[in-house]
Amino acid sequence: MKISGSHTVALGKERAYEVLQDPAILARCIPGCESLDRIGDDEYQMRMKMVLAAVSGQFAGKVRIADQSPCDSFRLIVEGSGKAGFMKGEGLLRLSGIEEGTQVDFDGDVQVGGTIASVGQRLIDATAKLMIKRFFAKLADSAVE
Amino acid sequence: MTPTITRTKAEPLIGKRVKRREDPRLITGTATYVDDIQMPGMHHACIIRSPHAAARIRGINVSAAKETPGVVAVFTGEDAKGVGPVPCGASLPGLRVPHHYILALDRVYFAGHPVAVVVATDKYIARDAADLVEVDYEELPAVADPEKAIAEGAPAVHPEWPDNVAFNFHQEGGDVNQAFAEAEVVLKQRITSQRLIPTPMETRGVVAEWKSGDKSLTVYSSTQIPHLLRTLLAGMLGLPEHKTRVVTPEVGGGFGCKLNVYAEEALMGFVAMKIGKPVKWIESRRENYLCTIHGRGHVDYFEIAAKRDGTILGLKLKLIQDLGAYHQLLTPAIPTLSVLMMPGLYRFRNISADIVGAFTNCVPTDAYRGAGRPEATHGIERMVDILAAELNMDPAEIRMKNFIKPDEFPFATATGLTYDSGEYDKPLRHALEVAGYQKLRAEQAQARTDGRLMGIGLSTYGEICAFGPSPATPAGGWESATVKIEPSGKVTVMTGASPHGQGEETTFAQIAADELGVDIDDVVVLHGDTAVVQYGIGTFGSRGTAVGGPALYYALQELKVKIKKFGAMLLDSDDVSFEDGVCTCNHSGRTCTLAEVSGAAHRAMKLPPDTPPGMQATYFWEPPNFTFPFGAHLVVTEVDRDTGQIQIKRYVAVDDCGRIINPMIVDGQVHGGVAQGLGQALYEQAVYDENGQLLSGELTDYAIPKATMMPWIESAHTETPSPVNPLGVKGVGEAGTIGCSPAVVNSVVDALSGLGVRHLDMPLTPEKIWAVIQKGGQA
Amino acid sequence: MIAQDFNYSTPATIEEALGLISGGEAKLLAGGMSLIPLMKLRLAAPGHVVDLSRVAGLSGISEAGGAIRVGAMMTHYEVESSALVRARCTLLAETAAMIGDVQVRNRGTMGGAVAHADPSADYPAALQALEARVTIAGAAGTRVVSVDEFFVDTFTTGLEPGEIITGIEVPVEPEGTGVSYQKMLQPASGFAIVGVAVRIRKEGGVISFARVGVTGLGSRAYRAAGVEERLAGTAGSASDIANAAAVIADGIDANSDIHASAAYRAQMARVFGARAIQAAVNRAA
Repeated sequence: MKISGSHTVALGKERAYEVLQDPAILARCIPGCESLDRIGDDEYQMRMKMVLAAVSGQFAGKVRIADQSPCDSFRLIVEGSGKAGFMKGEGLLRLSGIEEGTQVDFDGDVQVGGTIASVGQRLIDATAKLMIKRFFAKLADSAVE
Repeated sequence: MTPTITRTKAEPLIGKRVKRREDPRLITGTATYVDDIQMPGMHHACIIRSPHAAARIRGINVSAAKETPGVVAVFTGEDAKGVGPVPCGASLPGLRVPHHYILALDRVYFAGHPVAVVVATDKYIARDAADLVEVDYEELPAVADPEKAIAEGAPAVHPEWPDNVAFNFHQEGGDVNQAFAEAEVVLKQRITSQRLIPTPMETRGVVAEWKSGDKSLTVYSSTQIPHLLRTLLAGMLGLPEHKTRVVTPEVGGGFGCKLNVYAEEALMGFVAMKIGKPVKWIESRRENYLCTIHGRGHVDYFEIAAKRDGTILGLKLKLIQDLGAYHQLLTPAIPTLSVLMMPGLYRFRNISADIVGAFTNCVPTDAYRGAGRPEATHGIERMVDILAAELNMDPAEIRMKNFIKPDEFPFATATGLTYDSGEYDKPLRHALEVAGYQKLRAEQAQARTDGRLMGIGLSTYGEICAFGPSPATPAGGWESATVKIEPSGKVTVMTGASPHGQGEETTFAQIAADELGVDIDDVVVLHGDTAVVQYGIGTFGSRGTAVGGPALYYALQELKVKIKKFGAMLLDSDDVSFEDGVCTCNHSGRTCTLAEVSGAAHRAMKLPPDTPPGMQATYFWEPPNFTFPFGAHLVVTEVDRDTGQIQIKRYVAVDDCGRIINPMIVDGQVHGGVAQGLGQALYEQAVYDENGQLLSGELTDYAIPKATMMPWIESAHTETPSPVNPLGVKGVGEAGTIGCSPAVVNSVVDALSGLGVRHLDMPLTPEKIWAVIQKGGQA
Repeated sequence: MIAQDFNYSTPATIEEALGLISGGEAKLLAGGMSLIPLMKLRLAAPGHVVDLSRVAGLSGISEAGGAIRVGAMMTHYEVESSALVRARCTLLAETAAMIGDVQVRNRGTMGGAVAHADPSADYPAALQALEARVTIAGAAGTRVVSVDEFFVDTFTTGLEPGEIITGIEVPVEPEGTGVSYQKMLQPASGFAIVGVAVRIRKEGGVISFARVGVTGLGSRAYRAAGVEERLAGTAGSASDIANAAAVIADGIDANSDIHASAAYRAQMARVFGARAIQAAVNRAA
């Protein structure tokens, strides 16, 4: 599934680039993130509990940051699996300075498998969008702090 | 010589709308399905399945599951690898057959592939413990599309066969090159027949019971083929066949998906033998969608050659069959049935067909209602319409022109079949008349002027039924029947054609009641237990009545000879007749009843010359040929220009299934068949993503037609008796499905023909139609 | 299809129910048309299920002060067949009648559907058009929230942990109001690919009041204010309607799945929007 979108962060481009790769901030902003531990260069192990309405599921996975082009773009590679299924995503985040701060455009591919793919078809798109929205909303809060 | 039905003086039941005798127990919830079976000490199994379509298994950790209180065992592929492979009964030259372990050994090949099984004292513990089994997968690239699978560079489903080609099959008849050389018109079209999920109301289920004392295994399974299952299961488990019993309780729909032998059936046998206790496994709907066979899955490239007057000269087909990851019982044979029926009802005798069987990382395809024939009929009926459009001919006229004529039967086809009988224009003319065809065409012209998109679609289908002569059926194509007259005169019929919803408990009782002149309530029809019923083949391919019926008929004839012998003895006569359940001395007019005859035969105080006691006959009948039902469906549609939604305004179905035993049951079969045909035409689609994940994995995303979505079906019949069997029956189980989808698609293409639309692939979803309209007819 | 172990309670009063859910881990069961399948699929595994079916005060449909109050535990069938709702708030009755299938309508409840906030559910379109209010009980007392505030996002509502919906209030429709709910249904589930609910009033031959609620298209049901503005003051002619419906999807990030792409959904919102408006205009006196 293709996924793309654009969010605004009220931070300068350099700060936004930094924040988006800061594990402490990521841990706070990724919805349901319970832990994010560094296991290598730009590679982290993550545990998260996804909660959406009645649905809840534990996922364990990895987050990796690659192709860094400082302040302009980087690639985010996420994979996780749990009893409900698994997901893998890869996307390019591009940052551009605008009046309100920084615009973050993302463009990527998400692959979902297992029960969530088979029975949640109708909702995967909307859910992914919601999670990203929540992430940026939290990021905005964190950035203000 | 064609034997005919002996009519009794009482009004015959054959031809009557006798209410289904199996219905009261089904409707009142007192029938016994597999899940209703309870046994002392019964355990429950839960199967762990791969979430990945292709992966290597690096390890399986079962210790947490095993430690769960109530769990008695966890088995993995390593434990069960000695069980014989899931069998493929079809053979084709050069067929590549992957070894199909009942549990994955070191690699999984489709999402849903069974990997391990947890056995516990109750189903809740089994399910909870299943979550504790940890399987370490190394995911591998997968391929889910058959055309992509056979293209250069695709991931190999089975590493030993990197081209993903399971087989190539070629068949030809006549001289197709000559036909195409002489043609004035040649038209090509790619036509797909999407993967469908059979969706029986009852999912699969198995109970296995091992009796260690006598070393015998009883397997209760929701199957269409109890005897074949027993033979094959015994082989897989290394058991003597006579110590293996299969019982088929009520079966809540099969549609072909239970014409199979599944890993889980052998797995439960294996588990029961290991733990020494009965064990039950009931498939969830999710498992049913992921792991029970799918149907169809064709990409067909057709070419038709014709003269400008509409005479069809020849047909070429390249058929790519999506096989899935394995061969189930008949997987590779299904597309060969499509080739057999390629000529449809038409006279042309030049064909050439090539099948490529493609492995994909999906659940296997196999027989689903129609099994190969809907795909063939859809193809030829679309091509005939495409030809008619090209030549500006009326679709009814072009069909009439090419039909095999009644005096040409038996007709040898280009694919090597001999059509038994037919008057192909009769159902078509009847359908045109019922529908008011000329008036409909006038309405259509008016609709077009008004800017409305109205379409009229026809299909004139032929099908091959009564599978079948044994040489054409892998495990034998005959059928068996036993008739017992009890000492009291009550009648027990045992059929080998284990029915599962087709109503043979009624139709076979009608046949027996007519032949023996007894009340229908004095007849009971038993089936589905290999310890009770003589060997039989099963119910599939519209064969129940067409092959099982004649077996019953001949068993009844044998018994009638014996009845007359005992009657003659009791009446002390050398000339007796037997009618209406009464033996009559043709000299004195004295009579004795069937009960008196049967009582005498069982007490055996005195026996007629050279006649053993008892009153029982068993007949195994080998059909000399298939039967070839046919019919015409006419569908009127209107397409909503703004939304692409299709409304079915009229549905006329005229079917000829030979002699009709029970018109109500025949109508029911047509209605059910049409529902599934409409499902394919408009709604249903097993959607895999490019990684082999089944996206339509539940009924919330896989749209089977519901009662409210069904049109009114104007159903009628013509009756052209089959000369192949003494009852004159042909079979009707699949007709509705076969006739439906091309008629619907032809109708919608007709509605959009003004936009230049020539073809549309199924399912005709509103968005697809809307997009075509938006693009001005460019699909 | 077996849920994980859970505790199950059937409180008799709101207070008792509020006490049971105060820990935050319990899930409320209000019909179970979504929760039970999710639990059976193990996509939801609440440790404690609190069934509201026996709680007093969550049933009944009554009229007071120009509004109709529907108890949260009223089934869709009870709403659809209520003489009061049919006569005084026809849009709600007609919408209820188009939910799922008979079995779902006999078990599913209005409060359950509203709390679940499925982005394709039918009720939210009507409730947006009706400017309905949700009554919520919590430890701190009762509060009333407009649906526009209540439906926050996909499966996300303004309901705080520890709160229970007690009822939904819809206005009594003045005589002469024309209403319609039109939906394109997804044939497998019966959910709306898009659904549009419309209320229209006319004065002196022109539209004086228009409310348009849309479901299925975006992350939540919303009121299409742009459409309402374009309708106001027009005669409600076919071209007025087309002109108004044209903006129904503006600014909405449309959903997409195997049943309908985002572009098709947006277009169907326009088509079904126009149809619903037309039907409502035709019925408006």
